[in-house]
Amino acid sequence: MAKPTELLQGTLDLLILRTLESGPLHGVGISDRVEQVTKGVFVVGPGSLFPALHRLSENGWIKGEWSELENKRRVKTYILTAAGRAQLAEEKRNWKRVFTAMNRVLAEEV
Amino acid sequence: MFPFGRLRTLLKSWFQRAALEAELDAEVRSYFEIMVNRYVGQGLPEQEARRLARLNFSSPDQVKEQVRDARAGAGISSLTRDVAYSLRRLRKAPAFALVTVLTLALGIGANATIFSIVSRFVFRPAPVGDPSRLMALHTTHQAECCNNFSWPLFSDVREQAQSFSGVAAYNELVPASISGQGEPERVWGQAVTANFFDVTQTGITLGRGFRTEEENLPVVILGHALWRQRFGGDLNIAGKAVTLSGRSFTVVGVAPPSFRGVDSILYCQFWVPLGNIDHLLPNTSNRVSYNYHWLAVVGRLKPGVTQAQTTVELEILARRITKAHADVQYDDGFRFERAGSLPPRDKAAVMLFLAALTLVALLVLCIAGANVANMFLAQASGRQREIAVRLALGATRRHLLHQMLTESVLLALGGGLLGVALSLWATRSLAAFRFPAPVPLDLSVNVDGRVLLYTFALSMATGILFGLAPAWTVVRPIIANGLKGEDLLARPGRLWSLRNALVISQVAMSIVLLCATGLFLRSLENASQIDIGFRSRGILIMAVDPRLHGYSPERTTQFMNTLRQRVAALPGVTSATYTDSVPLSGGGRGESFHAESQPMPSRADVTTELYMTGPDYFQTIGTPILAGRDFMNESATGPKVAIVNQAFAERLFKNENPLGQRVTGRGVTYQIVGVAKNIKARFLGEDFMPVLYRSLAQDIAGDPSFTGYRIMVRCERDPGAVGSALRREIHALDPTLAIFDAETIEEHLRDALFLPRLAGTLFGTFGFLGLALAAVGIYGVMNSWVSRRTREIGIRLALGARVTEVQWLIVRQGMLLTGFAVIPGLAAAWAVAKLFTSVLYGVRPHDPPTFALVPLFLAAVAAIACWFPARRAAGTEPLDALRHE
Repeated sequence: MAKPTELLQGTLDLLILRTLESGPLHGVGISDRVEQVTKGVFVVGPGSLFPALHRLSENGWIKGEWSELENKRRVKTYILTAAGRAQLAEEKRNWKRVFTAMNRVLAEEV
Repeated sequence: MFPFGRLRTLLKSWFQRAALEAELDAEVRSYFEIMVNRYVGQGLPEQEARRLARLNFSSPDQVKEQVRDARAGAGISSLTRDVAYSLRRLRKAPAFALVTVLTLALGIGANATIFSIVSRFVFRPAPVGDPSRLMALHTTHQAECCNNFSWPLFSDVREQAQSFSGVAAYNELVPASISGQGEPERVWGQAVTANFFDVTQTGITLGRGFRTEEENLPVVILGHALWRQRFGGDLNIAGKAVTLSGRSFTVVGVAPPSFRGVDSILYCQFWVPLGNIDHLLPNTSNRVSYNYHWLAVVGRLKPGVTQAQTTVELEILARRITKAHADVQYDDGFRFERAGSLPPRDKAAVMLFLAALTLVALLVLCIAGANVANMFLAQASGRQREIAVRLALGATRRHLLHQMLTESVLLALGGGLLGVALSLWATRSLAAFRFPAPVPLDLSVNVDGRVLLYTFALSMATGILFGLAPAWTVVRPIIANGLKGEDLLARPGRLWSLRNALVISQVAMSIVLLCATGLFLRSLENASQIDIGFRSRGILIMAVDPRLHGYSPERTTQFMNTLRQRVAALPGVTSATYTDSVPLSGGGRGESFHAESQPMPSRADVTTELYMTGPDYFQTIGTPILAGRDFMNESATGPKVAIVNQAFAERLFKNENPLGQRVTGRGVTYQIVGVAKNIKARFLGEDFMPVLYRSLAQDIAGDPSFTGYRIMVRCERDPGAVGSALRREIHALDPTLAIFDAETIEEHLRDALFLPRLAGTLFGTFGFLGLALAAVGIYGVMNSWVSRRTREIGIRLALGARVTEVQWLIVRQGMLLTGFAVIPGLAAAWAVAKLFTSVLYGVRPHDPPTFALVPLFLAAVAAIACWFPARRAAGTEPLDALRHE
């Protein structure tokens, strides 16, 4: 397995929002899902995950709620808010623009 | 738009810190528990699973710290932490904190004081409702600004201009004698159109404003101060009668306390409708003429109308009026600005003066700031260990920088607070300077909201600017030095250390300040020794205005003559006379004169200062008559005679004999019977102007004075007793007469010295401050230089250096720094001095003695400042120094 890639500044938010689009998840769940979907290219540790989660909920894009797991353990589960959905759409558009532009630049390469 | 949602979370996070912390703790802990469980599930023992989780995901505490930094309001909590830490540190170093705050207070206080003046005269809006929409209108003649309006022109503008919802006019200054209960008093007011208070939107405190139909009725609105002082704040004043210049007026209202007229500097105490002007002012018969510009005009912009639109409309209007009045060869335009601005004629000069003062005050602050920066550096040398420890423990440079800046900003804010207190005191002392003017002025300066805001901004900027440089140096210690046991902050091989650069710029700036101080002090000295051409002591002056009490010109002459004779007979009085105005009053009356004998085409008009005099005038005021004779009780109806001064004779008659010549001004012809010595007529700084003295008896009917008549008494001793005797004599003749402007000639001349005295005082203070601060700066730098080199000095002494050699080493170092500063300092002073040309008396801006003495003086002060550290160094015990470590 290749070493996990450094996350681009700002992509972490997009990653988390996109992960929550398919349903509510707790912190570990988000980490796992990202790692799984990107086939281990991105690994989100708690050191970057928690600050990002707090930033996103302060912006009102996600909301945290306490719930209980089967083993009676209390965890905080995050869900995407309406504002978060709008923000996700916006960031998707942005990302696509950047992505297309980058591809063009790379295609130019001789 | 301000992100309110963010603000809410910020406030929430601030007030619910504890709850948020607990939640965060639980969340992070649950994350780790899940991970540990997962490793346990993979078959690891619990101990090992915990270790692995921590290894892979850093410690929970670190994660929490990262979240805290990301959270909104993280800035605030780190700020409060920094503030608390700084306060704790400063409490441990009270002497340092005190000296820093005092130093900055001097610098900031100087700026707050000067800005109070700027705020008062440049930024203060007119004391009216919605001042930004009230415009003061001026007329221009052949594109030359600015003049008042004539009555017909005002009517045209009022009827035709569409940009204004209302246009009002007023005569700026109307004197009146107010009598009734108490001693009669002369007060100044304004005659205004009935809509004046509506257009200016000035709310009347008590009673009401003028009604349209009252334009010609004897009604009056009193100023707040007059109402309080003279009428004891009578709440039922409305409807009562007061006597103004012998005529009964009905009070309809009292103006608000802040309202003294729309203008920024005039001080008016009453307002009457314009129709009363004939009664209150002489010579208003031609007030409907197009050529008599006697009305100031203000207009209220209609809502939505811009100033650009108004400019365009007024241009069109001016053209239309010019066309309609082709018969009076009218070539006027309009100009307007916000009401309450400085008078357009004086604006440039005042702004220049204020700019120079601001610059100088900022210079003082820079010197103070440089001192503070230096003290910070010296202090930081003692903190090297602390800083090294904090860096080693993982504090980032940014954290340290923040913390040190917090400290300097805190100190600067403390300095600002104290500075405001200083400026409160300073602005009050400024009131002691009376501007010489024949009209009432309100020049009071206060510390207002704008000043507080400015001071706050200035304190912040000072704290950041002068804290940044030392902080920057301190958070980058040279570790290599530390290993050698040397100063961590010394940059080896650097000639221009920050501290040296600071001291050099300080000294250079104080050279600029001291040169300015020197120039203004020399100017003050010269001004007080200027040959004014008349007696500067032993004259008592008192003014009355019989016209305001209904006296005819003949009765006025008669009154003044009787009074003069009775006063001249008083014990202790050498001689007595009367005149319409005393020279050096800051204003006066002038007229153009030409010689009758000269052929028509070459009749050059000479602007001449006019004085009306009574018998014994020249003897009393002490201006010698050089040729011809004095007035000899000329009869009011006889041929008019005049005495002129040398400047007048030279301008009109060159080498001819002026005696017996006839001169004409505004249609009146005088025969010259005498030539008097030149005098300074309006201002001390002027060149001698042509002056013509006429007999009061002959001219009072044709050209009555607007500011009353003054009895001048020469008495060698006891002016107090003669003064009260003089008052008694006046009231013996007419108890209803108001006496005003009572002063001795010494007081009169002190006011005439207003500008040089003010400039001398301000620059003297600033110069002294700058010098003291710079001396402290040199002392501080040399002192710490000695401390740092104690070991070196000890070795030198141990190796046999003489004490004097060591002392010389230190003094030489200090003098070298001073020497480096002299050239740029003098160059800057040379450039700045040029600005002062117009306000200096009898001193050229590049006055050689000043420019030669200032560096020498400064060098002497620097030498003294170096001598103390040198003495300390000389007392070093070689053994102690070597055992230093």
